[in-house]
Amino acid sequence: MFNQLLINSMIAGSIYTLIALGFSLIYSTTKFFHFAHAAVYTSCPYFAYFYSIYCGLPLGASIALAILSSTVLGMCTELAIYKPLRQKGSSSLVLLLSSLGLYIILQNVISMSFGDDTKTFRSGIVTEGLEFMGGRITPIQIGIILVSALLLVFCWAITKYTKMGTAMRAVASDPELATVSGIDTDRTILFAFMLGSFLAGIAATLISFDIDMTPTMGMNALMMGVVAVIIGGVGSIPGAALGGFLLAFAQNFGVWKISSQWQDAIAFIILLVFLLFRPYGFFGKKIRKVEV
Amino acid sequence: MDYLLHIIIMVGIYSIVAMSLNLLAGYTGLISVAHAAFYGIGAYTTALLALKFGLPFWVNIPAGILVSGVVAFLIAWPSLRTYDDYFVITTFAFQIIIFSIMNNWVSFTGGPLGLPGIPQPTIFGMTVSTHLLFLSFVAAFGVLTYLFLGRLVDSPFGRVLKAIREDEIFAMSLGKDVMKYKITVFVIGAATASIGGSLYAYYISFIDPTSFTVMESIFMLSIVIIGGAGNLKGSIVGAALLIFIPEILRFVGMPNSIAANMRQIFYGGLLVFFMMFRPQGLLGEFAFGKHDHKDSKEASENA
Repeated sequence: MFNQLLINSMIAGSIYTLIALGFSLIYSTTKFFHFAHAAVYTSCPYFAYFYSIYCGLPLGASIALAILSSTVLGMCTELAIYKPLRQKGSSSLVLLLSSLGLYIILQNVISMSFGDDTKTFRSGIVTEGLEFMGGRITPIQIGIILVSALLLVFCWAITKYTKMGTAMRAVASDPELATVSGIDTDRTILFAFMLGSFLAGIAATLISFDIDMTPTMGMNALMMGVVAVIIGGVGSIPGAALGGFLLAFAQNFGVWKISSQWQDAIAFIILLVFLLFRPYGFFGKKIRKVEV
Repeated sequence: MDYLLHIIIMVGIYSIVAMSLNLLAGYTGLISVAHAAFYGIGAYTTALLALKFGLPFWVNIPAGILVSGVVAFLIAWPSLRTYDDYFVITTFAFQIIIFSIMNNWVSFTGGPLGLPGIPQPTIFGMTVSTHLLFLSFVAAFGVLTYLFLGRLVDSPFGRVLKAIREDEIFAMSLGKDVMKYKITVFVIGAATASIGGSLYAYYISFIDPTSFTVMESIFMLSIVIIGGAGNLKGSIVGAALLIFIPEILRFVGMPNSIAANMRQIFYGGLLVFFMMFRPQGLLGEFAFGKHDHKDSKEASENA
C-alpha cells in the first residue's frame, strides 16, 4: 500500500511539476494568471486524437504535431489577446478576466468538436503493469516520470544558460529595466508562452495516455499547478518541482485517511494554509509597509 | 408564455446575484469567483430547512442569508489578506472547497443526486405556484435588493468602498479601516447572493451541486463586467443580455447539446471583447485598472 501510494505520488507529482513549470514561466514574465493555459493544456491530447483518429496519421507523428499545434495555440493567445491588451496598458486583472473568457471559449470549442464524454487512446488491451517495489507501474507511468525529469532539467538549463533564458529572468525581475537594457520584452514573453505551452502540451498528452481525456481536464490540472507554484514560490524551477511533489504526496497519502473524492479540497486547503502563513501579492508588500 | 416568464424569472434571480457581486467586484474592486458558492449556500439552507423541517419561506430565506453571511465572515479574513490575482485564487479555492462539501457530504446535502421536491413557498395561505405569481415573488425580492444595495452604495459607506477600489493606500491614509470595510462588504455581498440562491431553489424545486460550480461563478462575474462594474443597473442589463440572447439560439433550431456550448462561447467571447474594447462594461464606471501610483504617473507622462 505504502509503495503504491509512493508511486502514485511520483506520477502525480511529475505532472503537477510540468504544469506548474509552464504556468510559472508565463506568470513570472507577464505577472498575470493565464487561465487559458488550462485550455492550451487540454487542446494537446485532443489535437493528437484528431490527427491520429480522424486523419489517420501514425501515433508518434500525431503527438509531435499535436504538441506543435498546442504550442502555436498558446503563442496565439499571447499575440492575439494579451499583447494588444498589454500595449493598451491594461491591468493584470483585465488580462486575468480576458484569459477566463478565452478559457471558456476554447474549452467549449473542444467540447463542441469532440463531445463531453471521455476519449481514450488506449485500445482494448489492458496492460497490467510491472511489479515494482511491491506496487504496480505501467510503462506509460514510467515514461511520465522520466520525461518530466528530463524536461525539468531542460527548462532549468534554458533559463540558466541561454540568452533567451537570461532575458526571461530579467523581464521577470524588472520589465522596465529589462527594456532599458535592450531586451525585447514582447519577444521574451512570447518565448515564455512558447515554452510554457510546450510543457503543458506534453504533460496533458502524457496524462491522457494514462487516464484518458475530457474537455474539462485542464482547469483542474491548472489549479493543481497553481497550488504547486504558490507552495514552491513563483518563478523558481526547483520551487515548482518541490511544490508539485509536496502537493502530490499530500493528496495521495491523504487518501489513506480520507476518501479520494476530497482530493481537490485537500489541495485547496493546503493552498489556503500557504496563503495564510505566507501571503504574497505585489500590493501586499506595499500595504504592509504602509501599516508599519 | 410560460417560457418567456421563465426567462424573466431567471433574469430576476441572476440580477439579484449579479447586483450583490457588483458590490464586491464593481464597487470595491474585489474580484471574487466564490459567488456561486454563497448562492449555493442560500439554496441549500433554504432547501434543507423546507424539506426537513417544513419551515416557511420567511424563515428559510433569512436563514440562508445568515448562514451565507457567517460562512462569508469566516472566509473573509484569510481571503482579504491577499490582493488582486491572489484574491481570485483564494476565492477560487473556497469555491472548490464549498463545492466539494456540497458534492461529497452525501448524507446531508444529497451529494450529486441533489435535493428534489422542494415545496413551493406560501404567502398568507396562498401557494406561489404559477409562473406569474413566482415572477412577482422574485420581483419583490429584486426590488428590495436593488433599493437596499442602491442605498448602501450611495451612502458614505459606499463612497469609502469606491475609495478603496480606486486607491487602497489613500483610503487608509484617510484613517479608514480598510480591512473592516472589506470584510463587511464581503459579508453583505455573500448574504445578498444567498437570496438569489433561495429563490432559485424554490423556483426550480430541485437543486444539485452542478448549479454552483466555479463556472457558474465566472458566469456571474461576466454579467457584472459586461453589464458594467460599479453600476447596479448595469448588472440587471447584463443579466438580461446574457440570459436572453443565448435563448435565441434555440429558435434558430440549434440542437440543445451544441446550444449549451454556444451559450458559453457567447459569453466567453463577450468577456474577451469587453476587456479589449470596453473594460468598464456597458454602463459601468470601473475599468479594473490597477491604481499604482507609478502607473498613473507614467500614464500622465505618456499622455
